[in-house]
Amino acid sequence: MAILECKDLSKRFGKIQALDSINLKIEPGRVVGLLGPNGSGKTTLIKLANGLLTPTSGEILIDGKAPGKETKAIVSYLSDKEYLPEWMSAKQLMDFFTDFYADFDRERAKEMLTRLGIDETMRIKQMSKGTREKVQLILVMSRQAKLYLLDEPIGGVDPATRDYILDTIIRNYNPSAAVVISTHLIADVEQVLDDVIFIQNGHVTLQSSVDEIREEKGKSVDAYFREVFKC
Amino acid sequence: MLGKLLKHEFRATGRTMLPVYGAVVVLAVLANVSIRMLSGNVGPLLSIFFGLIVAAFGICVVAAGVMTLVLMVKRFYTNYLKDEGYLMHTLPVSVHGLVWSKMIVSIVWFAATFAVIGLVLLLTAIIQTDTSLAQFFAGFPSWAEIREGLDQYGIRLGDLWFIGFEALLCVIVGSLFTCLHFYAAMSLGHMFAKDKILLSIVFFVAISFVLSMATTGYSAGRFYSLESMDVTLDTAQEAIRFAKAMLGEMLLVEAVQTAVLYVATVLGLKRGLNLA
Repeated sequence: MAILECKDLSKRFGKIQALDSINLKIEPGRVVGLLGPNGSGKTTLIKLANGLLTPTSGEILIDGKAPGKETKAIVSYLSDKEYLPEWMSAKQLMDFFTDFYADFDRERAKEMLTRLGIDETMRIKQMSKGTREKVQLILVMSRQAKLYLLDEPIGGVDPATRDYILDTIIRNYNPSAAVVISTHLIADVEQVLDDVIFIQNGHVTLQSSVDEIREEKGKSVDAYFREVFKC
Repeated sequence: MLGKLLKHEFRATGRTMLPVYGAVVVLAVLANVSIRMLSGNVGPLLSIFFGLIVAAFGICVVAAGVMTLVLMVKRFYTNYLKDEGYLMHTLPVSVHGLVWSKMIVSIVWFAATFAVIGLVLLLTAIIQTDTSLAQFFAGFPSWAEIREGLDQYGIRLGDLWFIGFEALLCVIVGSLFTCLHFYAAMSLGHMFAKDKILLSIVFFVAISFVLSMATTGYSAGRFYSLESMDVTLDTAQEAIRFAKAMLGEMLLVEAVQTAVLYVATVLGLKRGLNLA
């Protein structure tokens, strides 16, 4: 069964059609790039999968169920926003995740924090932007989730942090789980992707494996993306 | 999961409220010493100094009350409707759990603030009037005297307990209503993409207007005269019966309004959540 499935999924904000009759399936065990220019509908799709938005029509299913309490227990979500309470320390956040997520691996999180030299007792507000993003990612990737939804995980960070983030994603995700990475920085993520979904103006214009694109188009995903989304 | 939400909410709010209570107690002690000093022979500078301490105590007491209300609104806003919402709304908990955790914690802080301020003011009164605790409590009627008085008017003790219970429920439901009035306005206001705070204020005023119109309309029809309610207040028993019925009806009206606001809050968060 697909871990994420959209059936004629549409989302409208007033006069703006953010997503228009999207149909797609994401299978477990795949690392999928949700690729598209800014404003194409990537974040809207991820928010719908997390139950942060309600579809205007159609449906979105996580492991066969509509987003809700049960699906939130198996989805690990990294928002493109800094959403951790600033007054909390990394240790308090680990307490928080341990309490709410049965699949949270505290030892793994502690190990990653130690490896990066992040003091557990330091509060989020005392950390630099890059460190905050690393803490968010560590918490999200320390879960043994069935589906990881990562919205712009490498946007706005330096190249060294970017490498660390991608390395963390690949080394820590549960191999039977699916990882969806939303980004427009394709060259940086291409190396870790199995499949790609191109999204433009709320429409899915392509769903294919990275290997197929390379074989059939004779191009890298980045080069093909630039060709498709040429301004 | 409600227990876990409550635990983390108390942890988040306690770091604000406990220091506030600490400040109230410390300033109460200083104010009591200052009042004593002021009643003695002190110079003008010291009088100003002690006067300022007493004023600071007064301000702190008011601030504790205001802070409790502000914290109730701020926690809901920042935790559910701003960026922290991305964390809170993706937890495997129901929207009901999210709303109840905020309400329960707010009500506990309302009660704690009331208790701390009440106790501090009471102790200040006792200290400043040079009354011992024994003398203070001697001013209250004894249990036997209360029973005797009730018997004299033919009032059953059970009726008084019932009225007390109804009044307590009114206070609890009233507190829930206060929380939900703000929560519903914010949830509805934040369903829109723009001007969320302005719209929240508009919803707050609109809710106040609609509910007060509905309550006034109902009360005018129901309680416009004692005759219309088939009530005479000729005897104490009659007055007790009237008070019981009146409180019961007030409770019902308050509960209906609270339920409407609860549904609006939950629907706003469930169906209309639109985090920026």
